[in-house]
Amino acid sequence: MNIIGPDLLIFGVDDVEACKQFALDYGLTQASEHRFVALDGTGIDIYSKDDSCLPAPLETGSSIRKTIYGVADTATVDAIYDELSKDREVKRLDDGSIEAVDDMGFVLGFQVTMRKPLDMPAEKINAPGAPAQRPANETGVSKDFTPEPRTLSHVVYFVPDYKKAEAFYAERLGFITTDRFSHVGPFMRPAGTTDHHTLFFLNTPPHMKGIEHFTFHMSGPTTVVQAGNRMVEKGYQSFWGPGRHIFGSNWFWYFKSPFGCNMEFDADMDLHDDNWDAREALPGADNSQVFLLQYREKWAPMGPPPPKG
Amino acid sequence: MNQGVLLCKLDDLPDNSSRGFLPDAQGQDTVFIVRRGSKLYGYSDVCPHYGDTALPWKKDVYLDAGGDYIVCAAHGALFTPDTGECVKGPCRGDFLTPLKITVTAEQDVVLLCESRGKEQ
Ligand code: FES
Ligand SMILES: [Fe+2]
Repeated sequence: MNIIGPDLLIFGVDDVEACKQFALDYGLTQASEHRFVALDGTGIDIYSKDDSCLPAPLETGSSIRKTIYGVADTATVDAIYDELSKDREVKRLDDGSIEAVDDMGFVLGFQVTMRKPLDMPAEKINAPGAPAQRPANETGVSKDFTPEPRTLSHVVYFVPDYKKAEAFYAERLGFITTDRFSHVGPFMRPAGTTDHHTLFFLNTPPHMKGIEHFTFHMSGPTTVVQAGNRMVEKGYQSFWGPGRHIFGSNWFWYFKSPFGCNMEFDADMDLHDDNWDAREALPGADNSQVFLLQYREKWAPMGPPPPKG
Repeated sequence: MNQGVLLCKLDDLPDNSSRGFLPDAQGQDTVFIVRRGSKLYGYSDVCPHYGDTALPWKKDVYLDAGGDYIVCAAHGALFTPDTGECVKGPCRGDFLTPLKITVTAEQDVVLLCESRGKEQ
Protein backbone atom coordinates (compact mmCIF):
# COMPACT_ATOMS: atom_id res chain seq x y z
CA MET A 1 0.00 0.00 0.00
CA ASN A 2 1.56 3.26 -1.08
CA ILE A 3 0.55 5.32 1.95
CA ILE A 4 2.86 8.33 2.23
CA GLY A 5 2.02 9.71 5.66
CA PRO A 6 -0.47 11.80 7.58
CA ASP A 7 -1.99 14.61 5.50
CA LEU A 8 -4.36 16.05 8.05
CA LEU A 9 -5.36 15.69 11.69
CA ILE A 10 -8.87 16.82 12.55
CA PHE A 11 -9.46 18.07 16.08
CA GLY A 12 -12.57 18.83 18.10
CA VAL A 13 -11.38 21.15 20.87
CA ASP A 14 -12.59 22.95 23.95
CA ASP A 15 -11.23 26.40 23.08
CA VAL A 16 -11.19 27.01 19.31
CA GLU A 17 -9.72 30.50 19.43
CA ALA A 18 -6.88 29.47 21.73
CA CYS A 19 -6.05 26.56 19.42
CA LYS A 20 -6.08 28.75 16.33
CA GLN A 21 -3.74 31.28 17.95
CA PHE A 22 -1.51 28.46 19.14
CA ALA A 23 -1.35 27.01 15.61
CA LEU A 24 -0.36 30.41 14.20
CA ASP A 25 2.28 30.97 16.87
CA TYR A 26 3.61 27.48 16.21
CA GLY A 27 4.20 28.63 12.66
CA LEU A 28 1.34 27.13 10.68
CA THR A 29 -0.49 29.24 8.11
CA GLN A 30 -4.23 29.65 8.14
CA ALA A 31 -5.56 28.27 4.84
CA SER A 32 -9.30 28.46 5.57
CA GLU A 33 -11.63 28.94 8.51
CA HIS A 34 -10.68 25.64 10.10
CA ARG A 35 -7.43 24.64 8.39
CA PHE A 36 -3.84 25.46 9.41
CA VAL A 37 -1.08 24.16 7.19
CA ALA A 38 2.66 23.63 6.91
CA LEU A 39 4.70 24.61 3.86
CA ASP A 40 3.72 21.48 1.92
CA GLY A 41 -0.03 21.86 2.57
CA THR A 42 -0.34 19.13 5.21
CA GLY A 43 -1.84 20.33 8.46
CA ILE A 44 -4.59 20.31 11.03
CA ASP A 45 -8.27 21.21 11.09
CA ILE A 46 -9.58 22.90 14.24
CA TYR A 47 -13.28 22.61 15.13
CA SER A 48 -15.28 23.02 18.30
CA LYS A 49 -15.73 19.67 20.01
CA ASP A 50 -19.49 20.15 19.60
CA ASP A 51 -19.36 20.71 15.83
CA SER A 52 -21.83 18.32 14.23
CA CYS A 53 -19.72 17.89 11.08
CA LEU A 54 -17.11 15.95 13.02
CA PRO A 55 -16.94 12.17 13.30
CA ALA A 56 -17.99 10.97 16.77
CA PRO A 57 -15.26 11.17 19.40
CA LEU A 58 -13.61 8.21 21.04
CA GLU A 59 -15.41 7.15 24.22
CA THR A 60 -12.60 8.83 26.19
CA GLY A 61 -13.40 12.21 24.61
CA SER A 62 -9.89 12.66 23.16
CA SER A 63 -9.68 15.73 20.93
CA ILE A 64 -8.44 13.81 17.88
CA ARG A 65 -11.46 13.13 15.68
CA LYS A 66 -9.89 11.88 12.48
CA THR A 67 -6.47 11.12 11.00
CA ILE A 68 -6.34 11.46 7.22
CA TYR A 69 -3.53 9.71 5.39
CA GLY A 70 -2.21 10.86 2.06
CA VAL A 71 -1.65 8.10 -0.46
CA ALA A 72 0.06 8.03 -3.85
CA ASP A 73 -2.93 7.68 -6.19
CA THR A 74 -6.57 6.68 -6.56
CA ALA A 75 -5.54 3.07 -7.13
CA THR A 76 -4.15 3.05 -3.59
CA VAL A 77 -7.37 4.58 -2.23
CA ASP A 78 -9.30 1.82 -4.01
CA ALA A 79 -6.97 -0.89 -2.72
CA ILE A 80 -7.43 0.33 0.85
CA TYR A 81 -11.18 0.47 0.26
CA ASP A 82 -11.19 -3.16 -0.87
CA GLU A 83 -8.97 -4.32 1.95
CA LEU A 84 -10.85 -2.61 4.78
CA SER A 85 -14.26 -3.45 3.30
CA LYS A 86 -13.56 -7.09 4.07
CA ASP A 87 -14.51 -6.66 7.70
CA ARG A 88 -15.85 -3.15 8.28
CA GLU A 89 -17.84 -0.33 6.82
CA VAL A 90 -15.84 1.97 4.56
CA LYS A 91 -17.50 5.21 3.48
CA ARG A 92 -16.77 6.99 0.25
CA LEU A 93 -16.97 10.73 0.87
CA ASP A 94 -17.86 13.43 -1.66
CA ASP A 95 -14.28 14.66 -1.88
CA GLY A 96 -13.12 11.28 -3.20
CA SER A 97 -11.58 10.16 0.07
CA ILE A 98 -12.64 7.12 2.06
CA GLU A 99 -13.29 6.80 5.78
CA ALA A 100 -13.14 3.84 8.13
CA VAL A 101 -12.44 3.09 11.78
CA ASP A 102 -9.31 1.25 12.86
CA ASP A 103 -9.27 -1.67 15.32
CA MET A 104 -8.85 0.67 18.30
CA GLY A 105 -11.69 3.03 17.30
CA PHE A 106 -9.67 5.86 15.74
CA VAL A 107 -11.38 7.30 12.65
CA LEU A 108 -9.13 7.22 9.60
CA GLY A 109 -9.39 8.80 6.18
CA PHE A 110 -7.43 8.06 3.03
CA GLN A 111 -7.06 10.45 0.13
CA VAL A 112 -4.75 11.12 -2.77
CA THR A 113 -2.20 13.18 -0.90
CA MET A 114 -2.68 16.92 -0.82
CA ARG A 115 0.99 17.54 -0.03
CA LYS A 116 2.96 19.64 -2.49
CA PRO A 117 6.50 18.55 -3.25
CA LEU A 118 8.98 20.72 -1.36
CA ASP A 119 12.24 21.86 -2.89
CA MET A 120 14.31 23.68 -0.29
CA PRO A 121 17.57 23.05 1.53
CA ALA A 122 17.89 21.58 4.99
CA GLU A 123 19.57 23.56 7.69
CA LYS A 124 23.21 23.74 6.60
CA ILE A 125 26.20 23.06 8.79
CA ASN A 126 29.93 23.35 8.32
CA ALA A 127 32.42 20.95 9.88
CA PRO A 128 36.17 20.55 9.49
CA GLY A 129 36.97 17.83 7.01
CA ALA A 130 33.64 18.00 5.24
CA PRO A 131 32.77 20.08 2.20
CA ALA A 132 31.27 23.40 3.27
CA GLN A 133 27.50 23.40 3.22
CA ARG A 134 27.51 27.15 3.70
CA PRO A 135 30.16 28.77 1.55
CA ALA A 136 32.18 31.80 2.58
CA ASN A 137 30.05 34.76 3.67
CA GLU A 138 26.81 32.80 4.02
CA THR A 139 25.79 33.22 7.67
CA GLY A 140 24.05 30.49 9.60
CA VAL A 141 21.58 32.19 11.93
CA SER A 142 19.72 35.41 12.45
CA LYS A 143 17.69 36.91 15.27
CA ASP A 144 14.99 37.50 12.68
CA PHE A 145 13.19 34.21 12.62
CA THR A 146 9.87 32.94 11.43
CA PRO A 147 9.13 29.30 12.24
CA GLU A 148 8.21 27.39 9.11
CA PRO A 149 6.98 23.88 9.83
CA ARG A 150 7.54 21.98 6.61
CA THR A 151 5.31 18.95 6.78
CA LEU A 152 3.15 16.99 9.19
CA SER A 153 5.56 14.43 10.60
CA HIS A 154 3.87 12.04 12.98
CA VAL A 155 1.06 11.36 15.38
CA VAL A 156 1.24 9.34 18.59
CA TYR A 157 -1.71 7.51 20.11
CA PHE A 158 -2.31 6.08 23.55
CA VAL A 159 -3.77 2.64 22.86
CA PRO A 160 -4.99 -0.07 25.22
CA ASP A 161 -3.47 -2.93 23.17
CA TYR A 162 -0.39 -2.02 21.11
CA LYS A 163 -0.12 -5.51 19.65
CA LYS A 164 -3.59 -5.23 18.20
CA ALA A 165 -2.83 -1.72 16.96
CA GLU A 166 0.46 -2.77 15.40
CA ALA A 167 -1.15 -5.77 13.72
CA PHE A 168 -3.88 -3.64 12.17
CA TYR A 169 -1.50 -1.10 10.68
CA ALA A 170 1.01 -3.76 9.57
CA GLU A 171 -1.33 -6.36 8.17
CA ARG A 172 -4.13 -4.21 6.78
CA LEU A 173 -2.29 -1.05 5.73
CA GLY A 174 1.26 -2.22 5.10
CA PHE A 175 3.00 -0.15 7.80
CA ILE A 176 6.49 -1.29 8.80
CA THR A 177 7.83 -1.33 12.36
CA THR A 178 11.19 0.47 12.49
CA ASP A 179 11.94 0.21 16.23
CA ARG A 180 10.07 -0.59 19.41
CA PHE A 181 10.01 0.03 23.13
CA SER A 182 9.38 -3.24 24.95
CA HIS A 183 5.84 -3.56 26.32
CA VAL A 184 5.08 -0.01 25.21
CA GLY A 185 4.74 -0.01 21.47
CA PRO A 186 6.24 0.24 18.00
CA PHE A 187 7.40 3.12 15.84
CA MET A 188 5.87 2.59 12.40
CA ARG A 189 6.23 4.03 8.95
CA PRO A 190 3.90 3.46 6.03
CA ALA A 191 5.42 1.91 2.89
CA GLY A 192 5.36 5.19 0.95
CA THR A 193 7.88 7.03 3.13
CA THR A 194 11.34 6.39 4.51
CA ASP A 195 10.75 8.53 7.62
CA HIS A 196 11.58 6.55 10.77
CA HIS A 197 8.04 6.96 12.03
CA THR A 198 4.80 8.67 11.18
CA LEU A 199 3.01 6.72 13.91
CA PHE A 200 3.93 5.55 17.40
CA PHE A 201 1.85 3.79 20.03
CA LEU A 202 2.04 4.00 23.79
CA ASN A 203 0.34 1.14 25.59
CA THR A 204 -1.85 2.59 28.34
CA PRO A 205 -5.06 1.75 30.22
CA PRO A 206 -8.23 2.00 28.10
CA HIS A 207 -9.41 5.22 29.77
CA MET A 208 -6.40 7.03 28.24
CA LYS A 209 -7.06 6.08 24.63
CA GLY A 210 -6.48 9.07 22.36
CA ILE A 211 -3.83 11.36 20.99
CA GLU A 212 -0.60 11.86 22.95
CA HIS A 213 1.13 14.34 20.63
CA PHE A 214 1.60 15.39 17.04
CA THR A 215 4.50 17.02 15.25
CA PHE A 216 5.69 18.84 12.18
CA HIS A 217 9.18 18.56 10.69
CA MET A 218 11.33 21.67 10.83
CA SER A 219 14.40 22.40 8.67
CA GLY A 220 16.91 21.32 11.32
CA PRO A 221 17.96 21.38 14.96
CA THR A 222 18.44 25.13 15.08
CA THR A 223 14.94 25.86 13.86
CA VAL A 224 13.49 23.38 16.38
CA VAL A 225 15.22 25.24 19.18
CA GLN A 226 14.57 28.69 17.74
CA ALA A 227 10.88 27.90 17.21
CA GLY A 228 10.59 26.50 20.73
CA ASN A 229 12.43 29.45 22.22
CA ARG A 230 9.97 31.74 20.50
CA MET A 231 7.06 29.77 21.94
CA VAL A 232 8.46 30.20 25.45
CA GLU A 233 8.95 33.92 24.83
CA LYS A 234 5.28 34.12 23.83
CA GLY A 235 4.29 32.58 27.17
CA TYR A 236 3.74 28.98 26.08
CA GLN A 237 5.00 26.24 28.35
CA SER A 238 7.47 23.54 27.51
CA PHE A 239 6.59 19.94 28.31
CA TRP A 240 9.78 18.12 27.31
CA GLY A 241 12.85 19.37 25.54
CA PRO A 242 14.73 20.49 23.67
CA GLY A 243 16.57 17.24 23.20
CA ARG A 244 17.39 14.53 20.72
CA HIS A 245 15.67 11.18 20.60
CA ILE A 246 17.58 7.96 20.08
CA PHE A 247 15.04 6.00 18.06
CA GLY A 248 14.62 8.11 14.94
CA SER A 249 17.48 10.45 15.95
CA ASN A 250 15.05 13.34 15.67
CA TRP A 251 15.52 16.54 17.62
CA PHE A 252 12.44 17.35 19.67
CA TRP A 253 10.79 20.01 21.75
CA TYR A 254 7.30 19.31 23.09
CA PHE A 255 4.86 21.97 24.25
CA LYS A 256 1.64 21.61 26.15
CA SER A 257 -1.19 22.97 24.06
CA PRO A 258 -4.88 23.86 24.19
CA PHE A 259 -5.49 20.85 21.89
CA GLY A 260 -5.62 18.51 24.88
CA CYS A 261 -2.34 16.91 23.84
CA ASN A 262 1.25 17.95 23.35
CA MET A 263 2.45 19.57 20.14
CA GLU A 264 6.06 18.96 19.16
CA PHE A 265 8.65 20.47 16.85
CA ASP A 266 10.97 17.89 15.31
CA ALA A 267 13.80 17.76 12.81
CA ASP A 268 16.44 15.57 11.26
CA MET A 269 14.76 12.19 11.54
CA ASP A 270 16.45 8.99 10.37
CA LEU A 271 15.30 7.44 7.13
CA HIS A 272 14.88 3.71 6.69
CA ASP A 273 14.15 1.30 3.92
CA ASP A 274 13.39 -2.40 3.85
CA ASN A 275 17.01 -3.28 4.66
CA TRP A 276 16.55 -2.23 8.27
CA ASP A 277 16.02 -4.54 11.22
CA ALA A 278 13.86 -3.07 13.93
CA ARG A 279 15.64 -2.50 17.23
CA GLU A 280 14.06 -3.00 20.62
CA ALA A 281 14.87 -1.16 23.83
CA LEU A 282 13.44 -0.88 27.29
CA PRO A 283 11.37 2.26 27.75
CA GLY A 284 12.58 4.98 30.08
CA ALA A 285 14.57 8.18 30.27
CA ASP A 286 17.91 6.71 29.29
CA ASN A 287 16.66 5.17 26.06
CA SER A 288 14.38 8.06 25.12
CA GLN A 289 17.01 10.70 24.39
CA VAL A 290 20.73 11.18 23.95
CA PHE A 291 20.47 14.42 25.87
CA LEU A 292 17.83 16.69 27.32
CA LEU A 293 18.29 20.44 27.67
CA GLN A 294 16.17 23.02 29.36
CA TYR A 295 15.13 26.56 28.58
CA ARG A 296 16.84 29.50 30.17
CA GLU A 297 16.06 33.12 29.54
CA LYS A 298 18.69 34.76 27.29
CA TRP A 299 21.75 35.67 29.31
CA ALA A 300 25.38 36.54 28.65
CA PRO A 301 28.54 36.63 30.72
CA MET A 302 29.67 40.22 30.37
CA GLY A 303 31.84 42.83 31.99
CA PRO A 304 32.96 43.27 35.59
CA PRO A 305 30.87 42.43 38.64
CA PRO A 306 27.95 44.83 39.12
CA PRO A 307 28.69 47.86 41.32
CA LYS A 308 28.03 47.30 45.03
CA GLY A 309 24.90 49.04 46.20
CA MET B 1 2.10 32.01 63.72
CA ASN B 2 2.60 30.32 60.41
CA GLN B 3 5.42 31.41 58.18
CA GLY B 4 3.89 32.32 54.83
CA VAL B 5 4.72 33.52 51.36
CA LEU B 6 2.83 36.53 50.07
CA LEU B 7 1.43 35.64 46.64
CA CYS B 8 -0.78 38.59 45.69
CA LYS B 9 -3.67 40.74 46.80
CA LEU B 10 -7.15 39.23 46.79
CA ASP B 11 -8.17 41.81 44.18
CA ASP B 12 -5.55 40.36 41.82
CA LEU B 13 -7.69 37.20 41.61
CA PRO B 14 -10.99 37.91 39.85
CA ASP B 15 -13.82 35.47 40.45
CA ASN B 16 -13.46 32.23 38.43
CA SER B 17 -9.90 33.07 37.49
CA SER B 18 -6.73 31.08 37.97
CA ARG B 19 -3.19 32.24 38.48
CA GLY B 20 0.25 30.70 38.94
CA PHE B 21 2.99 31.80 41.34
CA LEU B 22 6.54 31.11 42.47
CA PRO B 23 8.24 30.34 39.14
CA ASP B 24 11.13 27.90 39.04
CA ALA B 25 14.44 28.45 37.24
CA GLN B 26 12.80 27.73 33.87
CA GLY B 27 10.14 30.35 34.52
CA GLN B 28 7.30 27.87 35.05
CA ASP B 29 5.10 28.49 38.07
CA THR B 30 5.19 25.92 40.85
CA VAL B 31 1.89 26.66 42.62
CA PHE B 32 -1.45 28.00 41.47
CA ILE B 33 -4.73 29.30 42.83
CA VAL B 34 -8.26 29.03 41.48
CA ARG B 35 -10.82 31.48 42.83
CA ARG B 36 -14.48 30.53 43.12
CA GLY B 37 -16.49 33.30 44.75
CA SER B 38 -15.01 33.86 48.19
CA LYS B 39 -13.13 30.55 48.09
CA LEU B 40 -9.51 30.13 47.04
CA TYR B 41 -8.16 26.72 46.11
CA GLY B 42 -4.39 26.34 45.97
CA TYR B 43 -2.46 23.44 44.51
CA SER B 44 1.05 22.45 43.59
CA ASP B 45 1.48 22.90 39.85
CA VAL B 46 2.32 19.27 39.25
CA CYS B 47 0.20 16.86 37.23
CA PRO B 48 -0.22 13.47 38.93
CA HIS B 49 0.05 11.73 35.52
CA TYR B 50 3.86 11.73 35.57
CA GLY B 51 4.26 13.59 38.87
CA ASP B 52 6.95 15.79 37.37
CA THR B 53 5.42 18.30 34.95
CA ALA B 54 3.33 21.45 35.30
CA LEU B 55 -0.26 21.76 34.10
CA PRO B 56 -0.90 24.82 31.94
CA TRP B 57 -0.14 25.41 28.26
CA LYS B 58 0.24 29.10 28.95
CA LYS B 59 1.01 31.06 32.08
CA ASP B 60 -2.03 31.30 34.38
CA VAL B 61 -4.33 29.23 32.12
CA TYR B 62 -5.34 26.44 34.48
CA LEU B 63 -9.07 26.29 33.68
CA ASP B 64 -10.95 24.94 30.68
CA ALA B 65 -12.83 27.35 28.39
CA GLY B 66 -16.02 27.05 30.45
CA GLY B 67 -14.18 27.60 33.72
CA ASP B 68 -15.53 24.33 35.12
CA TYR B 69 -12.39 22.24 35.48
CA ILE B 70 -8.69 22.58 36.09
CA VAL B 71 -6.93 21.19 33.00
CA CYS B 72 -3.55 19.59 32.48
CA ALA B 73 -2.79 20.62 28.93
CA ALA B 74 -0.29 17.84 28.24
CA HIS B 75 -2.95 15.15 27.84
CA GLY B 76 -6.16 16.90 28.78
CA ALA B 77 -6.67 15.61 32.33
CA LEU B 78 -9.56 17.40 34.09
CA PHE B 79 -9.64 18.10 37.84
CA THR B 80 -12.45 19.48 39.96
CA PRO B 81 -11.33 22.86 41.33
CA ASP B 82 -12.64 22.32 44.86
CA THR B 83 -11.24 18.85 45.56
CA GLY B 84 -8.38 18.59 43.04
CA GLU B 85 -9.61 15.15 42.00
CA CYS B 86 -8.85 14.05 38.44
CA VAL B 87 -12.21 13.10 36.95
CA LYS B 88 -11.08 12.52 33.37
CA GLY B 89 -7.76 11.74 31.73
CA PRO B 90 -4.67 9.66 32.39
CA CYS B 91 -4.55 10.15 36.18
CA ARG B 92 -8.28 9.62 36.80
CA GLY B 93 -8.91 9.16 40.53
CA ASP B 94 -5.65 10.84 41.56
CA PHE B 95 -5.52 14.21 43.30
CA LEU B 96 -3.59 17.42 42.86
CA THR B 97 -1.57 18.24 45.97
CA PRO B 98 -3.54 20.88 47.91
CA LEU B 99 -1.86 23.85 49.56
CA LYS B 100 -3.02 25.94 52.48
CA ILE B 101 -3.89 29.45 51.41
CA THR B 102 -5.08 32.19 53.70
CA VAL B 103 -6.28 35.73 53.18
CA THR B 104 -5.15 38.20 55.83
CA ALA B 105 -7.08 41.14 57.18
CA GLU B 106 -5.05 43.28 54.78
CA GLN B 107 -6.40 41.20 51.85
CA ASP B 108 -3.03 39.60 51.29
CA VAL B 109 -3.21 36.12 49.75
CA VAL B 110 -0.63 34.07 51.59
CA LEU B 111 0.64 30.56 51.01
CA LEU B 112 1.23 28.91 54.36
CA CYS B 113 4.62 27.26 54.18
CA GLU B 114 3.74 24.31 56.38
CA SER B 115 1.50 23.07 53.59
CA ARG B 116 4.31 22.84 51.05
CA GLY B 117 5.96 19.50 50.55
CA LYS B 118 3.73 17.87 53.13
CA GLU B 119 3.75 14.62 51.16
CA GLN B 120 7.35 13.95 52.17
S1 FES C 1 0.98 15.07 32.15
FE1 FES C 1 -0.94 15.87 32.84
S2 FES C 1 -2.38 14.69 31.71
FE2 FES C 1 -0.46 13.82 31.13
FE1 LIG D 1 7.27 12.85 18.51
